Amino acid sequence: MGILLTIGCTDLEETTYSELSESNFYKTELELVQANLRPFTHMQAWLAWSGQNGYYYHNELSADQTAWPQKGRHGYDNADHIRQHYHTWTSQEGRLNNAWRLMWTGLGFVNTAIESIEAVDAASIGVEPERLASIVAEAKVLRAYHYMKIMDMWGNVPIVTTVGVPTNPATAPREEVFAFIEQELLENVEKLQPLSQKLIGRMSRAVGYAMLSELYLNAEVWSGTPRYAESIEYSDKIINGEGGSLTGDIALDQDPLGPFNNTNENSPENIFQFPFSRKNDFGYSWASFYMGFTNMTAALDVNYSGNNAFVVIPTAFDAYKENDIRKQEWFLFGPQYRYGTNEPILGSEEYNGKPFVYVNNIRRNTEGQTGEGSMTDGEENSGARFFKYRSGTQDDPNYLEGDYVIYRLTEIYFNKAEALMRLNNGNATQEAVDLINESKMRYFTEEDWATEAYTTTTLTMDELLAERGREFIFEGMRRTDLIRFGEFTTGSWWDHTPSGDDHLTIYPIPFRQLQANPNLVQNPGY
Amino acid sequence: MNNQLKKIALFLFLFLGMAISHSMQAQGRKTVTGTVIDPSGMPLPGVTVQEKGTTNGAATDFDGNFSIEVASNDAVLVFTYIGMASQEQAVGTKTNLSVTLQNDEEALQEVVLIGYGSQQRKAVSTAVTKVDTEDFNQGVVQSPLELIQGKVAGLQITRAGGNNPNGGTAIQLRGVTSITGSRSPLIVIDGIPGGNLDLIQQNDIESFNVLKDGAAAAIYGTRGTNGVILITTKKGSKGAAAFTYSSFVSRDYVNSKPDFLSANEFRQAIADGIISENNDLGSSTDIFDELINESNLTQYHNFVASGGSEKSNYRASFYYRDAQGIALENGREEFGGRVSFNQTGLDDKLTFASSLAVNLNDANLLGGGQFGAVTSWNPTAPINAPYNISEEGILYNPGKYGFYQPENGFNPFSEYAERFNERKQITFSGDAKLSYEIIDGLVGSVFGSYQRNNWNDRYYRTTQDYAQYNTGSAYKGTGYAYKGNHTDYTQTVEPTITFNKNFGDNNIEVLGGYSYQYSTTEDYSMDNNGFTTDGFEDWNFGAGNAITDTDLPRPSLYSFKEDNTLIAFFGRLSYNFKDRYFLQASLRHEGSSRFGANNKWASFPAVSGAWVLSDEEFVQDAGFINNLKLRAGYGITGNQGIPNYQSIVTLGTGGKYPVFLDGADGATYYQTYGPVKNPNPDLKWETKKELNIGVDFGFWFNKLSGSIDYYTRRTEDLLLSYDVPQPPFVQGSIYTNVGDITNNGLELALSYRVFDEGEFKWNVDFVGSYQNNELTTLSNQIFSVSELYGGNIGNPGNLGNAIRNTEGGPIGDFYGKRFAGFTVDGQWLFHKADGTIGRASDMTEEDKAIIGNGLPKYYASLTNTFRYKNFDLTVLLRGKFKYDILNTVDLFYGNPSLLPGNVLTSALGQYSNISEAPQYSDYYLENGNFVKLDNLTLGYNFNLGENSPFSALRIFGSARNLATITGYTGRDPEVQDTGLYPGIDDRNFYPRTVTVTAGLNVNF
Repeated sequence: MGILLTIGCTDLEETTYSELSESNFYKTELELVQANLRPFTHMQAWLAWSGQNGYYYHNELSADQTAWPQKGRHGYDNADHIRQHYHTWTSQEGRLNNAWRLMWTGLGFVNTAIESIEAVDAASIGVEPERLASIVAEAKVLRAYHYMKIMDMWGNVPIVTTVGVPTNPATAPREEVFAFIEQELLENVEKLQPLSQKLIGRMSRAVGYAMLSELYLNAEVWSGTPRYAESIEYSDKIINGEGGSLTGDIALDQDPLGPFNNTNENSPENIFQFPFSRKNDFGYSWASFYMGFTNMTAALDVNYSGNNAFVVIPTAFDAYKENDIRKQEWFLFGPQYRYGTNEPILGSEEYNGKPFVYVNNIRRNTEGQTGEGSMTDGEENSGARFFKYRSGTQDDPNYLEGDYVIYRLTEIYFNKAEALMRLNNGNATQEAVDLINESKMRYFTEEDWATEAYTTTTLTMDELLAERGREFIFEGMRRTDLIRFGEFTTGSWWDHTPSGDDHLTIYPIPFRQLQANPNLVQNPGY
Repeated sequence: MNNQLKKIALFLFLFLGMAISHSMQAQGRKTVTGTVIDPSGMPLPGVTVQEKGTTNGAATDFDGNFSIEVASNDAVLVFTYIGMASQEQAVGTKTNLSVTLQNDEEALQEVVLIGYGSQQRKAVSTAVTKVDTEDFNQGVVQSPLELIQGKVAGLQITRAGGNNPNGGTAIQLRGVTSITGSRSPLIVIDGIPGGNLDLIQQNDIESFNVLKDGAAAAIYGTRGTNGVILITTKKGSKGAAAFTYSSFVSRDYVNSKPDFLSANEFRQAIADGIISENNDLGSSTDIFDELINESNLTQYHNFVASGGSEKSNYRASFYYRDAQGIALENGREEFGGRVSFNQTGLDDKLTFASSLAVNLNDANLLGGGQFGAVTSWNPTAPINAPYNISEEGILYNPGKYGFYQPENGFNPFSEYAERFNERKQITFSGDAKLSYEIIDGLVGSVFGSYQRNNWNDRYYRTTQDYAQYNTGSAYKGTGYAYKGNHTDYTQTVEPTITFNKNFGDNNIEVLGGYSYQYSTTEDYSMDNNGFTTDGFEDWNFGAGNAITDTDLPRPSLYSFKEDNTLIAFFGRLSYNFKDRYFLQASLRHEGSSRFGANNKWASFPAVSGAWVLSDEEFVQDAGFINNLKLRAGYGITGNQGIPNYQSIVTLGTGGKYPVFLDGADGATYYQTYGPVKNPNPDLKWETKKELNIGVDFGFWFNKLSGSIDYYTRRTEDLLLSYDVPQPPFVQGSIYTNVGDITNNGLELALSYRVFDEGEFKWNVDFVGSYQNNELTTLSNQIFSVSELYGGNIGNPGNLGNAIRNTEGGPIGDFYGKRFAGFTVDGQWLFHKADGTIGRASDMTEEDKAIIGNGLPKYYASLTNTFRYKNFDLTVLLRGKFKYDILNTVDLFYGNPSLLPGNVLTSALGQYSNISEAPQYSDYYLENGNFVKLDNLTLGYNFNLGENSPFSALRIFGSARNLATITGYTGRDPEVQDTGLYPGIDDRNFYPRTVTVTAGLNVNF
C-alpha cells in the first residue's frame, strides 16, 4: 500500500542521513567550535610528516638535512623525491599540486567556519556575542597561519576570505599577502586567550606572538622590507610570559626529548602543537615516512611500521659532534637490535637475513660502491634515521600519545638571536650568544661545554644557521631557514650542487591550478 | 562453397529417397507424381515428400519433380524443405500434384521484448538480440550471464577473476560510455528494472533480450545508456502437470600454474651464490599447490513443477547449489526458489501475473585471496613448525601455535585455521502485474515490484592468530571480531496503458506510462577486540575488553544510509503499414534525485523505422532472398549511475580534536565537521546519442540468416571531477559534466544451417564485432583535463599508472618508457624523447610515449552445433583480437632483484641478466590475441518408450575454457577488457581453471 500511495509524487529533493546538510548544523556553540576545529585536524595532512604531499615534504626534502633516496627496488617513485633534492622540479609536480590543494582546502575550511559563524545570530542560539567574537578571532589567526605557510611555498597567491567568491581570484603580489597576514594578526591576536592547558592545540596569544615573530623575521624575504625589531618585540612577549604557557612559567625544556616524547603536552617550552591521542581516537600516523619496514617494529617495540622513506643526509648527520647528546638521542644509527636485547634486527632487502646496520652514506655498499653515492644509489640501511619524536613502547601507558610540535620556545630564542645579529650587521651580540648558548648547553656535558659554548666571535651567521639546523632537524622548517640565510640556491650539501638560481626560492604555481584559474600568474622563472 | 554443399545435400537426399522407395512393397497402390516450386515459381530440388504416418518417402529431383507410390487415395503427402513451411496435401483421386511451398516465417514471428511490451521479430526496427534457452551455453557454473557469453555481438562478458564462486562478472555493451558513471547494462528481470542477478538461476531463464542501440534503450531513459538486458523467466503452460529435475556436478582444474621457483630451484640459486645461504629454511613447500582445493566439487540440483489450465498457469522452481572454488576456504552454498502464477478472468479481460523469487546464500570469503603468498613465500619454508626464537641452528619461528610465521610475509594456513570470514545473504523479489482490457485493444496495467537484498558478515581472528599475538601486535594477544550488515531495497510502481488497433492496412500501437522507483541502502557494522577467550567468536561483543581498555585499538561503530528516487513519464507509438513499413517513436521524461537542483529532469526521445524489403515484389523476384529488412534508429539515453548527494554541500566528520568545556578538568575529543565537497547545482545526467543502421537477412530459404549493425554513439556531458580554482573553493575539485566519448562499431551475427535434414544436423553461428572507442573531449571553456591516468602497477618501486587515456585518443593506451636494451651490467636502458638512450634515472615525463593499447578491437565467437541421432555436440570458440597485455607478473617476478622473495624461473633464466629493480616499459607488453576453445558440450537424449515414466531424459558432459591458442606468455590472455584501464594482467593470482561438468535433465 505504501508503494501505491507514492504514485503521482514528483518530489526529487535529496535527504541526507550519514552526512550533515548545512541547514541542520551550526545550531549550538559546540557545533560552531566543531566547525572551527575542522581545519586543525586537516593540518596534519599537510603540515606534519605523515603527509607525503604537503608543506612538510617540500620544506624538508628540498633542503640539506633529509632526503628520500631510491633504495634498490623501493623509492624510485617517478623520481619525485630525486627532483626535490636536486632542485629540478617543474610546475607539473603531482605532489606540489597536492600540497596546494591540501593547504587551500585547509584555508577553505577556515573560511567556511568564519562565514558560517559570522552568519549565526548569537542570541538565537544562546551564545554571548563576545564568545562568538573570540571564536571568530581564533579562526582568523588560524587563517593567517595558513596564509603564512602558503606564502612561504608560493609567494604570490590570491587573497580570498569568502568561499566561492570570486570564482577566479587573481594573484596578489607577495607583499600584499604579507600585509594581509600582518593586519589579520595585529587585529586578532590580542583577542585570544593566553596559552594554557585548556588551549592546547588551539590558537592562543602565545601562538599569535610566535607567528608574528616568524612573520617579521622573514619579512625581508617575504615583503622586501626587514622588520627585525618587530620580530624581537613579539619574541620578547613570549619569553616574558605575556602569551601564557602550558605549565608554570614558559621555559626551555632541559630534557632533550621533553618537547618530543609522548608526554610532551607537559613540556614547559611548547607553544603550539597538534594534540594527538591514540586513546582519544586521533592517533598520529607514525607508521609513515620516517619509520623503517616491518623489521624495525621489533627494534622499537611498537606496533607500526613504515615505508623506509626519509633518511638523514650524510652531511647533516656529520654536522653534529660526537659528544652532542642530540646525535645520540635524536637518531637511529648503527646496528639495530630487538628492543631491550642484543638480538640483531635483520635486513629484508639488500641485507636480507643479515644484521641491519644504519650507515651514514647513501650508496650501493653491497655492490662495492664507494664515494658519496647519489639519490638513486640507496640501500635499505642508507643514512641515519629519525628518532627525535618517540612514540614510546607498547607497554607504555602513554604509547602514541605524543603531540606534534609546531612552535616551541627554543625557536623563539633562535628568532630573537638571529634578529639581534641581523640588526648588528650579522655580528653576534652577547644577548644573542646567551640565547643560543642557553639552548645548546642542554646537549653537552659540563666538561665539554667549556669548549662548546659560543662567544660573540664564534657565533657567526653561518654558525647560527648550522646550529639552527642541528636544533630543528626534522621540524619542517629547513627550506625557509636556508632561504632566509641565502643558502638555498647557493649552498652545497652531500651530492647537491647549487643552482644559483633565485627563482627556486618559491615553488611554481602547479600547472593544473593555472589551468583551472586563468587569473593565476605563474611565478617568475617557471 | 554453398552450391557444393547444396549438391551434396541433394545427392544424399536422392540416395536416401531411392533406397527407401526400393524397399517398399507394392500392394494395390498408386503412384503420384508432381512438381514442387517456391513462391517465385522456381522448382525446388531435394524436397522431402513423405506419406504421412509411414516411413514411405521420396525427394524431388533437380527440376522439382517427384514420384511416389502411396497406399491409397486416403494418403496424405507431407512436403518439407529447409527454410520453407511444410505443407500437407491429401492425394485423393489425383495422380499429379503441383505444390507451392511458402517461405517459413517462423523466425519472423518470434516475439521479441522491447521494454514495457513486445513485438514480432518482423516489426522490430531497433537493434535487439534475443537468445533463447536452446542457444544458451551449457556447463555454466557461475553467473547466469555466462549463458550468453559469445552469443550477442557487441556484448562483452568477462570474469577477470577467473572462476571464483564469489567473484564478479563484468558486463559491457558496445564499449565504454562513461568515465565515472555506470558502465554496465541495466538488467530488467520480468519487468523489474535493476533486477538482481542473484535471483536468477540458469534453469529459470526463458530468454535474454538485449536492447543494444539508443532507440531501443531510450524507453529506459536515464538508465538506458549502457544498453538493457531483459531477462524473461520460464512460465507454466497449459497442459498436464509436469516435473523437471536438472542436476550437474562440476570440478575445476588448474590450467596454468605460475612458474615460480621450486624448493630445489631455490636451493640451486643458493648453491650458485645468487642468494645467501641463510635463505634455506630446510623444508620443501609448493605453496601454490598447497593452496589449491584439488577435491573441489560444485553441484547443482533444480526441481521444477509446472502446469496450467485454460485460465491459469503456475511454475515453481527450487534449487540448491554448492559451488566450491579452486582455492581452499572459497565457496558459496545457496538455495532458493522462484514461483510464478498467472491467471486470466472476467472473460479474459483481466490478467494477473506474479512471481516471487528468493535466494539464500552462504559465502566463505576467507580463501581465494592468499595466492599472493606465492611471491613472498620462501619455497624452503615449512607450513608447520615449532615455536623457536632462541635456539641456534633451529628454524627461527615466532609462530606459537604450530604454524611457521615468516617475518616478511604471512602464512595462509594459519589464517585458515585461526580466522573466519563469511557472508550470509538473502535476496528477495516479488512482483505482480494486473491488466484489464477496458475496451477492445485498450489495456490498462499496474506493475509493482519490491526487491530486498540483505547480508550479514562475520569475521573473527582468534587469540592464536599471528596478527593478534605477534610481538608488535596492538591487540596484545586478544581476539578480534567484526560484524556487518547491509540492506538495500528498491520499490517500483509502473502503471501503463496500451492501445492497439488496425485501420485497414494500418496498425498502431500506443503505450503510455508512469514509473516511480525508490531505492535505499542501509549499512551498519562494528568491531571490537580484547577478547581473551575465543569461546564467543563474534557473538558476545560486550566481552571484548577494548571497550574499556584504551591500550587496545579502539573498537569502531559504523552506520550509513542513503536513498534516491527516480520518476518518469513515458510513451511510445508503433505504427506499421501493410506489415511492411514500420515506424516507432518513444519519449521518456525522467527525473532523478541525484542531479542538481537546476537539472533534475530530462527528456529522452527515440525514433526508428524498418522496411521489410523481402515483402516487396521486386525483391521476391530474386529467388534466394527470404528475408531482408532494413532498420535505422536514433535514440537519446542517459546515465544516472553515479553516487548520491553529488550536487549538494554536505558536512562530514574530520577527525577528533580536544575541547575544554567550561568547568571541565580535562579535554574532550570531539568530532570536527567541514564541507566534504563543492556543490554543483547544475549537475546532470550524461547523455548518449546513438544512430544504428542494421540489416536483417535470410537467404536460401533462411539457410543462411543473420544481421549486420553499424552504430555510432556519442556520450556527451560526461561526469568527471575537475579542478576548480582553489581558492576560493574549499575542495579542489567539482563533479561536473564536460567531456564526450565516441564509439562506433560494426556487429555481425550469422547463422548457417549446414545440414538441417536427416539424422546429421550441423549449425554454425558466428558473432563478431569491431569497435572503436575515442575519448573525444575532456575539456570545455571552464574545465579542462587533458588525460586520465589509471591502472596502477603498484609496488615495489611505486611504478605508477600503466595507462593514460588522452583527450582525442583511444581508450586504453599504455603510456610509459620505451625499452632500448640493457647495459652490460644488466641495467635498464630506455629511449629518450630526443633520440638518445638513457638509464631509468634519466627518464622524465617527456620521455614516455604511447607504447600499446589494451582494448581489444575485434571480438569473435563461433558456435558449432552438431546433432546426430540422439547425440548433440556444441563447440564454442571465442576470441579477442588486436590489443596488448601488460604482463605484470613477468614485470615484477621475472626479475632477480626481487630475490630472496620467490620469483619466476625466468628470473634466473632468460631475465637473469637484469640487475636493476623492476621498471615499467613496453618490454613487458605482449600481443593479447587469442582464440579459446571455450565450451565443448556433448549431450545425449534418450529414446523413451511409451511406457517410460519419463517424457524426456538427457545427459551431458561439458568442458569450459579447455584450450587457448595465443602468443601471450602469461597465464590467460582473457584479462579485464571493460572500463577505462583494460589489458593489465595483474598480480591477482587466483588460478585460471578448466571446468568439467556432467549433468542430467529429466522431464516427467
